[in-house]
Amino acid sequence: MARAATTSDVFNAIAEPQRRQILTLLRAGERPVTEVARELGTTQPGASKHLRVLREVGLVRDRREGRQRLYRLDARGLRPLHEWTGGFERFWNESFDRLDAYVQDLEQTRREG
Amino acid sequence: MAATGRDAHVQAPSATADREIAIDRVIPAPRELVFAAFTEVRHLSRWWGPEGFTTTTQAFAFQVGGVWEFTMHGPDGTDYPEWITWTEITPPERIVLRHGESRDDPDAFTSVLTFTPDGVATRIEMVTVFPTRELRDVAVERYHAVEGGRQTLANLAAYVTETRGIGAGD
Repeated sequence: MARAATTSDVFNAIAEPQRRQILTLLRAGERPVTEVARELGTTQPGASKHLRVLREVGLVRDRREGRQRLYRLDARGLRPLHEWTGGFERFWNESFDRLDAYVQDLEQTRREG
Repeated sequence: MAATGRDAHVQAPSATADREIAIDRVIPAPRELVFAAFTEVRHLSRWWGPEGFTTTTQAFAFQVGGVWEFTMHGPDGTDYPEWITWTEITPPERIVLRHGESRDDPDAFTSVLTFTPDGVATRIEMVTVFPTRELRDVAVERYHAVEGGRQTLANLAAYVTETRGIGAGD
């Protein structure tokens, strides 16, 4: 968490409104590409292309089930996003807030102990 | 995101100034105690990371060349693999560590922590040097014209991960 992301690809991936729509859709659970296409009101090749982009940046995972391929959200791909919106300094400022409280507790315990 | 009034500042120019982040904090407790909070996993796991984050430790040895391997769990269920090794330990005044996702992470960075007495308190100075300026820029928190866009992205991130357990460690 307290580290720089190696890529900003995820930013490009979610810059596209339909891809954001897909993420929101997959929040509710796994979907085959046919359903994704229908929900988006787009063609199946169009939906496939979007899903491939999302998969490449780690936001979506797929698995085969029978003759279907099912897609689902993989939130871990949002890591660079969290880091960018949170940021290194915020991470440490908040950690130091917690350290402050924790060390005061330790001192209290010592005094009483 | 409100500015805290104690935001990091980049120190006087050095050879690595453009790839550094410096953060200072004064903790109202004696230096030995503040230093101790950095040396044992039972302490570290109680304060490491922002509010709402927890850690699970796989390995821990606080010594030069020792490693802390752990997983951070975000409040939204996201798991972050973490790896730290110590390259210098001078109780109770200085710790140098490398921090990345794993032992072979090319983007791992180095943090130098110094602890100095400040009256009855302790000043912690943490200078982190990133491998490249780009990595530093990604890590640093920037307040500029994209604030609106950032907010949107942050909301989206929160929104799509609201569902409990999504993408959690399977």
